[in-house]
Amino acid sequence: MAWVNAIIQGILTGGLYALFACGLSLMFGVMKVVNLAHGDLAVVAGYIGVGIIASTHMPFLWSVPVVVVIMAALGYALQRTMLQTALSRGELTTLIVTFGLSIVIENGLLQFFTANTRGIGVGSSLVSSSFKIGSQIQIGWLLVVVFALALVVLLSLQYFLSASKYGRLIRAVADDREAAQLSGADYRHVFGIAAAVAFGTVALAGVAYGMTTVIQPTTGTDTILLFAFAAVVIGGLGSLWGTLLGGIVLGVAQQIGAQINISYEVLAGYVVFLAVLVLRPQGLTARRSQS
Amino acid sequence: MTALLELDGVTKRFGRVVIAENLSFSVGAGDTVGIVGPNGAGKTSLFGLISGDLAPGAGEIRFSGRTVTRLDAASRCRLGIGRTYQVPRPFADMTVFENVLVAAQQGGGLRRRASYAAAAEALERTGLGGEANVAAARLGLLQRKRLEIARAVATRPALLLLDEVAGGLTDPEVTVLVEIVRGINAEGTAVIWIEHVVRALTALVTRLICLSGGQFVGDGDPAGVLANPKVREVYLGSEVTASVVEAALEQEPSGQPGREPDPERSTS
Repeated sequence: MAWVNAIIQGILTGGLYALFACGLSLMFGVMKVVNLAHGDLAVVAGYIGVGIIASTHMPFLWSVPVVVVIMAALGYALQRTMLQTALSRGELTTLIVTFGLSIVIENGLLQFFTANTRGIGVGSSLVSSSFKIGSQIQIGWLLVVVFALALVVLLSLQYFLSASKYGRLIRAVADDREAAQLSGADYRHVFGIAAAVAFGTVALAGVAYGMTTVIQPTTGTDTILLFAFAAVVIGGLGSLWGTLLGGIVLGVAQQIGAQINISYEVLAGYVVFLAVLVLRPQGLTARRSQS
Repeated sequence: MTALLELDGVTKRFGRVVIAENLSFSVGAGDTVGIVGPNGAGKTSLFGLISGDLAPGAGEIRFSGRTVTRLDAASRCRLGIGRTYQVPRPFADMTVFENVLVAAQQGGGLRRRASYAAAAEALERTGLGGEANVAAARLGLLQRKRLEIARAVATRPALLLLDEVAGGLTDPEVTVLVEIVRGINAEGTAVIWIEHVVRALTALVTRLICLSGGQFVGDGDPAGVLANPKVREVYLGSEVTASVVEAALEQEPSGQPGREPDPERSTS
């Protein structure tokens, strides 16, 4: 029964990892930007959430859309300025620029918020409450809420990309930037919108992480970015639902590893990650279209 | 009356390769202009300069009386310059209708209902109505070329730049294509058409330009330009060409197996 419990916990944790990963996947799929500051930006979103709640005493649920909007605006601005400039010098330049951004953010956070950990208070009732299936399986409501949030985010993203005007534009620009220009689409604006959407999911990832555990300035790189990468690679680059599958596989592997020996938790995740890279480098869900 | 498109001393070089050498010409609203020339003559690059894919080294480009030399391709498209690519570049993951819808909404500046109607009309006009919901990746060559035109038409251009849309098609398919372009032109859209399939051009255009080494070696009525010895020399090479020219001028099939006579052609 402990094993079943571990697998269920792993699946639910996979929702959190999918939240980490979908923005990274979107930025790469559309702009070919590998955003190394992805995790740090999620942490920034977490700190913004903490700050807003602390300073305005706003209820937690109200603060979430505020953080999402702030991050989306930041995403658009960052894309139109720093990332666009980097992109025009080549896709590799974005690696250096986002790496630099990551360092700046981490050190900025250390400077202003110290290395102390912080959590986003969502009320102890949600954090500690759980329900039981049978006598041995106990599931925390918080993880269920985060998993549901991930599902909603992925469904919304899919609807947005397939059926909305801007979603169509994003797909067109991702497919052929020049041809889209000839159809009258300003790709820089479209990139900005894609970045805004990606940063919106980053905000949710940061807030969700802050809810489930605590954040500190280095969490972005050592946890969120790495788990996001692993989920994206396991699931398949450029695939939206692949991030959920990748997240779940990673989560289950970690929980099973922890079941064997608690010190194997993170290691087990990376073993699966490496195995996928070796055996199926295109990821578990092969991409539909040509690259 | 001002011309629709004016190039004034446009020059473009890539290193020592001359793409356009002090080119000046103008095209009026509703005109039909054909461009021929050997490979590497700078034909597609000329389209790049007009559509905004390339920035000229010197000179000025005006469209509808407005200087567009520094505008990017998307802005020029919204002003009314539509262009097709030599090798069709559909958005492969999207349906035919979505492909055209993006053009109608972005280039045509249309919203909701109006954009859907414009997209449907562009498909109807190019004979793609039946394929609206097919993924663009699954289209054959003729259909891809049609989609390329449909997308350009959906941006509601005043000037349509066609880059070798007849290349690789069979004779009957070329005939269909010429009729599609004729229909678009009949509604007042000016057409500049780069084409190696000379008989497709002579069936439609009233003016022919021969480009070589970034310069004009002939400009005028199609029969005159094709008969010009300089044009024959640079473009048509030598003997091969005599028959091509005659075929084009006499509006006869060139005698290759599988080709059908085309009663629609005229050099008017």
